[in-house]
Amino acid sequence: MPTKNFEQVIQFHEAQTPNGSIWLPLVEVALISPTMGPVSLSLLFDTGASVTTLKADLFPLLGLQSWNEGQLVPSAGLGGTLDTYRYTGTFEIWGKTIECPIHLAPLPDHPLFSGLLGREAVFNEFGFGFWESVHELYITTNP
Amino acid sequence: MKYSVDDSQASESVKSILDSIPTSGMPYEEVLRTLDKIGIEWQVTEEGDLLVRCWQVGAEGFVYREEAAVIRSSRPSPKQGEELDWLSRNLQDIRERYGGQWVAIYNNEVAAAARNLPDLMGQIAELDKPFITFIPSEPVIWTFTYANKKL
Repeated sequence: MPTKNFEQVIQFHEAQTPNGSIWLPLVEVALISPTMGPVSLSLLFDTGASVTTLKADLFPLLGLQSWNEGQLVPSAGLGGTLDTYRYTGTFEIWGKTIECPIHLAPLPDHPLFSGLLGREAVFNEFGFGFWESVHELYITTNP
Repeated sequence: MKYSVDDSQASESVKSILDSIPTSGMPYEEVLRTLDKIGIEWQVTEEGDLLVRCWQVGAEGFVYREEAAVIRSSRPSPKQGEELDWLSRNLQDIRERYGGQWVAIYNNEVAAAARNLPDLMGQIAELDKPFITFIPSEPVIWTFTYANKKL
């Protein structure tokens, strides 16, 4: 069995809900907006998301005039098949600056995250360990 | 103006602001607001002196970029996660006050709010890496799943 080493531990975010507390694997990233410079967004760490996907309403941060002017990419996601639109953007995350595809999609509104941190061009840069019972995400920047 | 530890040009701008304080005639409230906006920690001593804390380059090219990534990842920015934690702790109050609006959180307070994102962006151009999110007016749904196919 190979040994994997991680340099960083991210504690899941504990949120209080009407039904008690829950733990969410939230990751804070800096989106380098061509119009605003860096802005901080919270994303849900989602190994099931092929591509990092942001709420459609965030299109002005990408310097776009509308959310659906890019390449149409039908995607399966929350709520079934969604029309998403593909763009490219730059994130700073865990000490790395990464240019990666970004899909915009009509995701449900949530105050604690604005989208999903997905795999393409992002996950290759890191190695991850996921330990649900202790609510921890382990990261190496040297996979 | 934006200020970050990686932006030496902005650092020079900060320096020029600080250098000009004694002769600028700018009201002290405005000076302190400006320092807050550009993310400079400050305090005023009993003697009335203004102390500021800001980053300066200690050694250029100190490590290779690959090593920098490792160091930065193990020593996150002091601000990282603070805004999210603050939002989460105060979510009920924030929803009551800002439901249906975009908010920018900065230094553990709602620095700006607007009904649409472009309006919000217009209010926060001078903040360094503000945390942005939308506060829904409807009850928050906390359970997520893949499903919509009718059975």
